[in-house]
Amino acid sequence: MPNKPYDVIVIGTGAGGGMAIHTLCKAGAKVCALNGSRRLDPRKDFRNHRMPYDMKFRGFGDPKEEKQRIGYMDNEYTEGIWEHDIVYTTAPGTKWTWPRCFAVGGKTNFWGRSSARFGDIDFRAADRDGYDVNWPVTYAEMAPYYSRVERMIGVASTVQNRPSNPDGEYLPPMNFRCLDWILETGARKVGIPYLPDRIAQLTVPHAGHPGCHFCANCTDGCDTGSFFSTPWFFLPEAEKSGNLEIRTNVLAKNIIAGNDGRAAGVAYVDRKTGQEMEVYGKAVVVAASCVESARILLNSKSRRWPTGIANSSGQVGRNLCDHLYGTTARGYLPQLRGQPSFPDNVSASTIAWMPRWQNLDNPHKEQFIRGYSVYPDGGCSEFPGYFDEIDGFGREFKREIKRRYPTPVSFYSQAPSQRSDSNYVDIDPVVKDKYGIPAARLHFEWDKNTLLMWEHAKHSCEELLRASGAEYTGHGNPDPPGTSLHETGTCRMGNDPKKFVTNRFGQTHDVPNLYVCDASVFLNCTDKTTTISILAFSLRTSEYLVENLKRG
Amino acid sequence: MANQGPDRRAILEMLSLAAIAGQFNGFSRWAYAAAPAERAAPAYKPQFFTEQEYALLDVLTEMIIPRDETPGARDAGVAEFIDFMVAHDPEIQQPFRDGLSSLQNRKISTEVLLRAPVFKLLRRYTVMGYYTTRIGLEELDFPGLKMYSKSPGCPHTNDREHKQLMVGQTIGFSSSAKGSS
Repeated sequence: MPNKPYDVIVIGTGAGGGMAIHTLCKAGAKVCALNGSRRLDPRKDFRNHRMPYDMKFRGFGDPKEEKQRIGYMDNEYTEGIWEHDIVYTTAPGTKWTWPRCFAVGGKTNFWGRSSARFGDIDFRAADRDGYDVNWPVTYAEMAPYYSRVERMIGVASTVQNRPSNPDGEYLPPMNFRCLDWILETGARKVGIPYLPDRIAQLTVPHAGHPGCHFCANCTDGCDTGSFFSTPWFFLPEAEKSGNLEIRTNVLAKNIIAGNDGRAAGVAYVDRKTGQEMEVYGKAVVVAASCVESARILLNSKSRRWPTGIANSSGQVGRNLCDHLYGTTARGYLPQLRGQPSFPDNVSASTIAWMPRWQNLDNPHKEQFIRGYSVYPDGGCSEFPGYFDEIDGFGREFKREIKRRYPTPVSFYSQAPSQRSDSNYVDIDPVVKDKYGIPAARLHFEWDKNTLLMWEHAKHSCEELLRASGAEYTGHGNPDPPGTSLHETGTCRMGNDPKKFVTNRFGQTHDVPNLYVCDASVFLNCTDKTTTISILAFSLRTSEYLVENLKRG
Repeated sequence: MANQGPDRRAILEMLSLAAIAGQFNGFSRWAYAAAPAERAAPAYKPQFFTEQEYALLDVLTEMIIPRDETPGARDAGVAEFIDFMVAHDPEIQQPFRDGLSSLQNRKISTEVLLRAPVFKLLRRYTVMGYYTTRIGLEELDFPGLKMYSKSPGCPHTNDREHKQLMVGQTIGFSSSAKGSS
């Protein structure tokens, strides 16, 4: 049994791996999926229906453990789910924070759900502004895959005819809240688009999945499966096909290189026993998420592959990109002061967005190239975090907290970094994780272009707030890189084997039966979120792989 | 594909799982504040503070969020929460202890409390403790963790700018809610 050869070994069960597993199993391929941690039980592990007083530390978490938490989704409500055991290191000057969910389904269990298609403005960006290179695909090629993904997962939005954002096939949008209409008025005055977000949240029942019940707290996991995640949408069907075996609590260590120049299988460590095991297949799909996938390839050293498998270009781990997240502006809407409470947080606040509006007609109009998008947030939330901006104490303090409850608003930037030689991941020469696997080491700083976007975003959002009649109270600082969970670029796709790791189908140039199915094949992160594009590219790669398997 | 989710009744069951705070030992008022039914609160034995410190803490939290038309910090067991958090957080133990001791045996006027070095810390933990109880969330009329059949939208369809709501409202938040308990 342990050495039974499978058709395909898939490393990872998140968006990229889940789609690959689903596509391969449905096509009849025998798949062994390796997953770094356990399966989650929605009833026990998803605490989205808990009130703060149901939590031991009221949702603030044990103060002694708070410092170890990585990223904003890792909190008392999701305790025991985000990964803390596997160390990584950062080069001097790098403040990378790397939240990882190794549970079955990965980050799709808790994702932000915004789902905008990439377009030719992204794929052909180099043609427009001369920076870097074009993607090896066109939008016309990718559009059918996006449509199929949207039909599978259900995305709520509207047709918006924005030059930066191709439209897709949508479920009814989330309704605008009071705060959205007020901000939309201000946005119109300053010429910024303010529109329903594209959100993979089932505003109506879809494809056999129940509609959303709008309870909020989506990023704690959904116990009804009313937004896309691979454990709710893909894995049950794949397991039902009888073609899937998921091995949980195993860490992929390296790809086993065969003597024929192909990948023979995967060596992994069983986290429970510490034992090293091997599994063999006719093909291997790496979908462990951008940085982890690069780590696995770089750790796959042999005489034939002295710098890591499929790395003759030297590009594995290079070109790391990420979104700069941060609060660009915050304030209050006096229009709503003293109004009754309203369920503003029903989708954990991904209801509206401000899709890229910069450098559209003229790619060099701004001081920076490309563009960013912004997500607004606000209204009645669980905890009145604005209390610090009210003076005093006593009855009037308590009344003012209540009066202001519907009024807070803020904006969050999504500004992409551009590829540079200085942002990359390599293997730490000394540090190993507790299972003896050499650790990933991050080298990353925000580039000038991204910081110019950040300045622009701060200014634009302040203007929008003031035009909305809001009181502007300030802005935050850029979050550390890694916070967005949108890292891309460590195995870029392209036609030239000397410059790119995979071909235009996600198949590595060097090793014909080794494929990459996550955001590491992306050339950069664009101003859009990554998940829906991971799904679209993974679907395309997986079908290409099925064809190759048939050819033998 | 089969419907993978639990049905609506199952969701309702999940929603009614609330009020399990009583399972944490030693929490009397806190459990009371979380539970829907009225229940007499047994005396609380502080984990970190001395009896004297705890008595002062209880008075100060009630000054910060007093009972008026709605319940106050004491009703919500805020002092218990603070004692619990401080017991688990070595970094704030000394600041709390020093801060309370500087206010011990003094007549605490509004000015004294506002100027006390411990004021901001104390106020932060009082707010944290109050608005995370059933009492505090009811005070805010917290609208979340409920079920809606469709995405709730703005009801003011004739006034998208919400200008009419502002009639009689003071614009601006240069608030000064100086202590007035």
